[in-house]
Parts: sequence; structure tokens; C-alpha cells
Amino acid sequence: MSNKKYAIVLDDTKCIDCKACTLACKMENHVPTGLYNYRIWVAEKPVRGHFPNIKRSFQPSQCQQCDNPPCVHVCPTKASYQTEDGVVLVDHNKCILCKYCMTACPYDARYVNEEIKAIDKCTFCYHRLPEGREPACVETCPPKVRVFGDLNDPNSEVSKLLVEHETFNLKPEKGTKPKLYYIR
Amino acid sequence: MTTRTETIGINIFEGNKRISNVWLGFFLLVSLLGAFGVGNILLHGHEETLGVTRTVPWGILISTYVFFVVSSTGLCLISSMGHVFGIEKYEVIGKRAIILAIFTLLCGFGVIGMELGHPFRMLIYNVISPNFHSAIWWMGTLYGVYLVFIAIEFYFLMKHNHKGAFYAGLGGFLAGISAHSNLGAVFGLLEARPFWHGPYLPIYFILSALISGCALIIIILNVAHKGPANMPVKEQQALLGISKIFGLLIGILIFFDIWKLISSIYGAPPEKYETVMQLLTGQLSTNFWLFETVFGLLIPFGIILFTKGNNIKASLVAAVSAVIGIFFMRYDLVIAGQLYPMRAATPGAGVQGATASGFVTYTPSFTEIAIVIGAISFCCFLYLAAEKFLNLNE
Repeated sequence: MSNKKYAIVLDDTKCIDCKACTLACKMENHVPTGLYNYRIWVAEKPVRGHFPNIKRSFQPSQCQQCDNPPCVHVCPTKASYQTEDGVVLVDHNKCILCKYCMTACPYDARYVNEEIKAIDKCTFCYHRLPEGREPACVETCPPKVRVFGDLNDPNSEVSKLLVEHETFNLKPEKGTKPKLYYIR
Repeated sequence: MTTRTETIGINIFEGNKRISNVWLGFFLLVSLLGAFGVGNILLHGHEETLGVTRTVPWGILISTYVFFVVSSTGLCLISSMGHVFGIEKYEVIGKRAIILAIFTLLCGFGVIGMELGHPFRMLIYNVISPNFHSAIWWMGTLYGVYLVFIAIEFYFLMKHNHKGAFYAGLGGFLAGISAHSNLGAVFGLLEARPFWHGPYLPIYFILSALISGCALIIIILNVAHKGPANMPVKEQQALLGISKIFGLLIGILIFFDIWKLISSIYGAPPEKYETVMQLLTGQLSTNFWLFETVFGLLIPFGIILFTKGNNIKASLVAAVSAVIGIFFMRYDLVIAGQLYPMRAATPGAGVQGATASGFVTYTPSFTEIAIVIGAISFCCFLYLAAEKFLNLNE
């Protein structure tokens, strides 16, 4: 049993919408080109205020790596699964492309990868973790919006941030228990 | 008539001479449209040929699959009144209903096979890597079991082995109900989609299956005998009974629909309200009002109500109208549940197919429509061929 539980804490007030994270993700994970082939995104939040007192803000996001992942529950062939350290992955060889996980995901975090003929999604760059490297989106972000780490380690930066700041999850009412935490 | 009845059962290949080759040829020809669609997918891949998107991953092929299996289950459930539950009057519908149940199920499998990216991989991993938490796994597996039962049931019916038909029919009945309610659960267990979520859909699916079953039985008996004028009295009696059940079930479905609508509008529950408004006033409103409500519910209910189910010709009109309506009911149910995007369609969010209204859209591609028309046509061909070459009388 792994005693790790990976998570990302985001301070989206720092986001400058440079989209370096989305590009890094595409390059790192060989995500096919195309507007709707993506693992992560940067959404613009509704503009606040009126000119000249006006503010734009952004919300970068990706698969929430839910602790209670609906995509894993619904997958008929166990192609979608959760690792011991809590990361939700897709075994491309088992995926039958029924797309049930796409309808079950409340975050629209999955897409059909036509190159590998399977469902694809954010993996927290799982292949980099054994080397001690952070996910590409975390590593590349200029203002350091995302912080990646182990929730089970009280000395990790994510654990400290969760103590220091009040945070919220996206769509908590869905009961998915996301492991992406946004600082209020 | 008497001579004809006496010879029944002697030769299982004594087919129905009334079925014309012209119709067989016509339906086979239209089926080629489906073959074209299949070829298109095989040559150019799903992405280029299907209208489904990241936000609407299930399109008309899924809804047509649902339509087919709803029909199959309904035919099995209604026909089981005769050879499973022993209501003698309905035994006469058994063979025709079960053979059509087999064909509709096979055509349904064919259609969903075209939507799945890896249909053959499914056959393998469904067995070696099953997920017992998945409603799709249960639905697919139970439909497989159901197919075996109804195939055996048909064999026993043709052999006039009533005991065998009873056991196989009972197995088919139980597997059919389980499979079909699981199909409702495929949608009903999705917490992410409030319009689908809840125990309503598994129950609703069984009710609508019964309606499809009644309608199709009314249609096929009329096809087999070229209308009520040439129909044997026993079959007329069965149809008069089925017509009344059909009307009652539509009445219950109207009641279900009204409460589904009220509970989705009252207090504007998030996502449910917006979705239902897409049906009432939005992009699916023509489908909903004209096809679902008028063709699917009001015309058949009105006809059965005013004829009291005593006029088989009128029941036939009601049945055809209901089947058209039910096809659109399935489409609307599947598509509407996906129109409210899972993320707000703001700039940068990459919500595929989003319109200014914030909803996403889906339009079936030509390939998808070709497969749907081809599959329905092929199902008609298979049924007429069975009618022509097999003795489907009692």
C-alpha cells in the first residue's frame, strides 16, 4: 500500500492566462492537436465590475483526481482505475470507447484520443512522479499557480497551504471529493 | 380458415404467402444505406464521420440502440403474458413477438457496435476484466443472457414445446426486466447529470418498453394478415385485449411525464430546469411537442380512448404513431441529458459545441442517420423474411 495521496492546490488569483500549462501538458503527454483535444484548460471567469472598475480572472483546471471518482465506478471494463496513491488513470488497452466515463464526469475532463483510440485525461503526469518530478503544468507555470504534493505528508507544501488557507473544491455537491483545491 | 388452422405446426417452414418480395427487396435496398454508413466509419474513423462531440459523447446511435432494446424487451414482456403467465388469449402472439424481439435486439447491438470504438475488445474485457459497479457492464451482460433465453424460447415455440417455452420465457422475462432496468440505470446512476439521475429512469424504461411491445405487436399482426379483415378471430381477440392495455399504459406514461416535467420545473432545480426548458422551448422543442407529445402520447391515447380499443384498424394507426413518437422520446432523453455542459462555456474553457445560450448542441451526421435508417430497415427486412419463410402462426 502506498501511503501517498497526491493533490494540487491552486491559487488562481495568480493566473495570467498565458496557457503555458496547457501547452506543456500537450507536449509532455503527446496530446493530439485540435481545439477540443486537451487534458487541462484555463477558463475565463465572468468579468467582475464595470469600466473603469473592472477585473478579469481565470480558473485553470483539469481532471480533479476525485477520491470518489464516478468515471472509475461506471467503466464496464475497469479501464478507468485509481492507483493506490489516489490518481485516476486509464488503461488504454482495456478502453472500449463506450464513453460512459465522459458522461459520468461532472468536470468534462475526458476526451477521445483518436491517436491511441482510447479515452485520455490528466494523469498528474504519473510517469514523471517516480523520478521525483512534478507534473508538467506545475513545473512550467510562471507565477506558480499550482502546487503539487502529498496530502499524507504534513510537511509537504500542499499540506501547509491547506492549513494556511481556506480552500474550496469544484462541484462539491456531486460527492466526488476532488483532490484539486482552490485557495479562496 | 379451419383447414389452415389444422395444418399449423406441421411444417415450421410453411411461411406466410402474403408477404411480397417487393417489400423484402425494398427494405433490403434501404438497408444498404446502413452498410454505407458502416463502411464510412470503417474507412474514415469515428471522429470524421460521427456528429458526437466531447460534450455530447452519446448521439443518435445510442438513442437508437435504446429504441431497439426497448422494443425487444417490450415484445418479450408483453408476449410472456401468454406462454409464461398462462393467459391463453395471448399465446397466439408468442412466435411473432419473440422473433421480432430477437431481431430488434440484434439490430440494437449492431447500432451500438458502430458507436463503440472497440466493440470486439468489449467482448473480451467484459469477461476478463468485469466491473460489477458499472451499469453498462450489467446491462450488456444481461442483454447477452436475455438473447440466449429468447432464442431458446423461440426454438421451443416453433417446436410447440410449451414446457420448454415456459422456462425459457420465464428466463427471458426476468433477464429482460433486469437488463432493461439496468439500461435505465446507465443513465439514472449518473450523479453528474441531474436530468437523468434518480430511480425514475429504470422504472420509466420498463413502462415505455411495455408500450413499445404493445404497439409493435399490433403492427406485426396487422402486417402478417394484411389488416384485420383477414385476421383469424383468435388473433383479433388478442389484439383487442392488447389495444386496451396499450391505451392504459400510455395513460400511465402521460401521468409519469407530467410529474417528471413538474418536478423539473417547480422551483427551477439547477440543471434539471435548464434541461427541461430545452425540451419545452429550446432546441428539442419540435421533437418534444410534435413527435413525443402529439405522435407518441396524444394521438395514440386519444384513438384508444375514443374507440375503447375495439377497432383494430384504429389501434394500428395509434400503434404506428406511438412507435414514431417513442423513437423521438429516446432521442430526446439521450440528447437532452447532455445539453447542459459540465463546465460554463466561458472563453478558454473549451466547451465543444457551446452556443451563445450556454448550452451545447448536437446534430446527427449523415453517417449516423444512414446507420439508423439502415438498421431499422434491416430489422423490417429480417422480420418480413421470417414471416415469409417460417410458420409463425400459433
